[in-house]
Amino acid sequence: MSTQLPELEVLTEYAVREHRSLWLDAWRRLKSSPTAMLGLVVVAIFLLSAVSAHFFWKYDPRTDLDYSSKLLAPNLISTAEKPVIHIFGTDKLGRDIFTRVVHGGWNSLRVGLVAVGISLTVGCLLGLFAGFFESFDMNFKEKLALMGALGLAIGLLPAWIARQWFQTLIFGALGVVSVFLEKKLARVRMRPVLFAAAGALLGGLSGLLVAPLVGLVCAFVGLLIGWLLNKPVNGKTFSSITMRLMDVLLSFPSYLLAIAIVAFLGPGLEKGMIAIGVVGIPVYARLARSAVLSVSQKEYVLASQSVGEGHGRILFKHVMPNILSPIIVQATMGLASAILSAAALGFLGLGAIPPEPEWGAMLGDSYKYLSSGAWWAVLFPGLAIVFSVLGFNLLGDGLRDALDPKMRAK
Amino acid sequence: METLMRIKELHTRFHTQDGTVNAVNGISYTMQAGEVLGVVGESGCGKSVHALSILRLIQIPPGEIDAREVWFNGKDLLKLNDKEIRQVRGREIAMVFQDPMSSLNPVYTVGFQISEALMLHKGMNKTQARERALELLNLVGIPEASKRLDNYPHQFSGGMRQRAMIAMALSCEPKLLIADEPTTALDVTIQAQIIELVMRLQEELGMAVMWITHDLGIMAEMAQNINVMYAGFIIERGNVHEIYHQTRHPYTLGLLGSLPRIDEAPGTKLISIPGLPPDLIGLPVGCPFYARCAFRVERCLSERPQLEEAGSPGHTVACWRWKEIDAEALRKAAGGAQ
Repeated sequence: MSTQLPELEVLTEYAVREHRSLWLDAWRRLKSSPTAMLGLVVVAIFLLSAVSAHFFWKYDPRTDLDYSSKLLAPNLISTAEKPVIHIFGTDKLGRDIFTRVVHGGWNSLRVGLVAVGISLTVGCLLGLFAGFFESFDMNFKEKLALMGALGLAIGLLPAWIARQWFQTLIFGALGVVSVFLEKKLARVRMRPVLFAAAGALLGGLSGLLVAPLVGLVCAFVGLLIGWLLNKPVNGKTFSSITMRLMDVLLSFPSYLLAIAIVAFLGPGLEKGMIAIGVVGIPVYARLARSAVLSVSQKEYVLASQSVGEGHGRILFKHVMPNILSPIIVQATMGLASAILSAAALGFLGLGAIPPEPEWGAMLGDSYKYLSSGAWWAVLFPGLAIVFSVLGFNLLGDGLRDALDPKMRAK
Repeated sequence: METLMRIKELHTRFHTQDGTVNAVNGISYTMQAGEVLGVVGESGCGKSVHALSILRLIQIPPGEIDAREVWFNGKDLLKLNDKEIRQVRGREIAMVFQDPMSSLNPVYTVGFQISEALMLHKGMNKTQARERALELLNLVGIPEASKRLDNYPHQFSGGMRQRAMIAMALSCEPKLLIADEPTTALDVTIQAQIIELVMRLQEELGMAVMWITHDLGIMAEMAQNINVMYAGFIIERGNVHEIYHQTRHPYTLGLLGSLPRIDEAPGTKLISIPGLPPDLIGLPVGCPFYARCAFRVERCLSERPQLEEAGSPGHTVACWRWKEIDAEALRKAAGGAQ
């Protein structure tokens, strides 16, 4: 039997597998997929050119125009007729299209990052909280925070009407008070009336400081808000309110909603970013919520609860890391669609304001000259859109496969 | 021996769309420090729910926990606020769950997950917690623990994960370990190892263990006392000898009858209990076991039997006819009939 011992040792050596982290593993699988690598290369070129153009290549669109060289076809070598090289040709104002495409990349990148940033943060937080508090009860502090935030948010309406921003604080406080009085007033039938009256009084009195009519309107709005805030919402209600709100956002065609928001905010690249970001929120909220719901049922969440961890720790340390991969994939794809949306807004003249270089705006500027043969003025910005969107989509697809835990064994 | 936990009339209900599910229906018992208590019963009889109710891990709503008291080591667990109950969880009462495959978080190393509770409850820093985690992994018998500390759960086998879970549960030296069917998902050899491990640790650390299972065979060698649960009631409670040899409840009898025994005559058929447990929405007025009981009489339908002392002190049973049930004689009769 003594011969068995060394064998056993070898066996245990063998059983201990080399330590590999999740991200290293994902990177290995990403490398093995040619399409994902193609996407990565395209994205890398896009990022590199956009960033370096912004920082190292000075370009002022306001002074860049030269009527003597307008709508020149691409020329790769300098000749006597065309002394200046324009590898992508020039547009109707004689601007070099190559320069503008490269600088447009920076704008697209900015739009993509900011818009996805907005929808990612807001959407994920909403989805995380909604999903989490469907499975866990809210404690007192969480209720306080939620009702305070809710009061602040709806308080914006009368505050905006009266142009008195302290009104948001009043209604935020009303929300907090409602949590404090929840137990005391639990049996009081008149509670909604009580709170509605309090809201009307608070809104009306502060509105009176401006004008009697404003006071009246604010009192009415305050009445509604007080009635809404009379009972602190629990996790389930919070979740269903949030998700129904997301459904409402989703029910609009996304471009239409973006256009509506831009129409409200006014044109401009920054406004476009906000509009595209807001339109993207529901996607992330739904994704995060559904992932959280399934992760919350896992036994390790119960286990972390049973060792005495609090809600914050459970949510951000145990639940969130486990829902990251679908979110990362969605964000990569989201970059592509944000770039596309920005181009669409630009094309319609609602995004970037000319002469700012932006791919969609460049298309919108030049498509009229297509019939007179100036194909280059639309082809190159169009190709830039196609390639950047394609790159992000391929990368996103690759990431989805790479981050899929079922593929981990490979 | 001092009393560690005293439960009085614990009820757990779930308010669902179809009605109120009465998962636990007024159970009362006490546990001594260092005691090993077995909780047995078939699926859906409230074993796990009652354990989760003790730690208040039931989601409210739809759940509702209601008891005269759940006294543990000087405090009523149901009266503690959020922060205080979190101090009890993990530090004083720890739990090991059924499915080792999903009870470790896949994104963190095993070492990190064990040290987390230590950092939380004992205020250790990272290095201290890591050292302690290493000790714990050694304690639960994981080979090459120093290498294993940085492994992810998917690199562990099922038995090793369950060992890691036990290490995690023991990290803060709890006074009570609740093991919720920890061996159900494991194969028999690993099952034996885990049981041996928990029993050894129980002796070494002197903690009390509540072992929830549907396997009466395991309990015979581990437990001192056994609660037999049915439809959210404790229907029989006693020490191991009383439960196995002086069985007084037809349900316990049925459970024991469905176990294969090594000393029975070849060809003996295993007895199964006919039917299913009652719907926990709208329990019958009478004895919950009525529909499946071989000993039923009319009285069982109209009046629910309460736990009463049967024969020896500490052996309680909820059956109107316990006096007529003599386990040994019945067994002989069954053997003779072959």
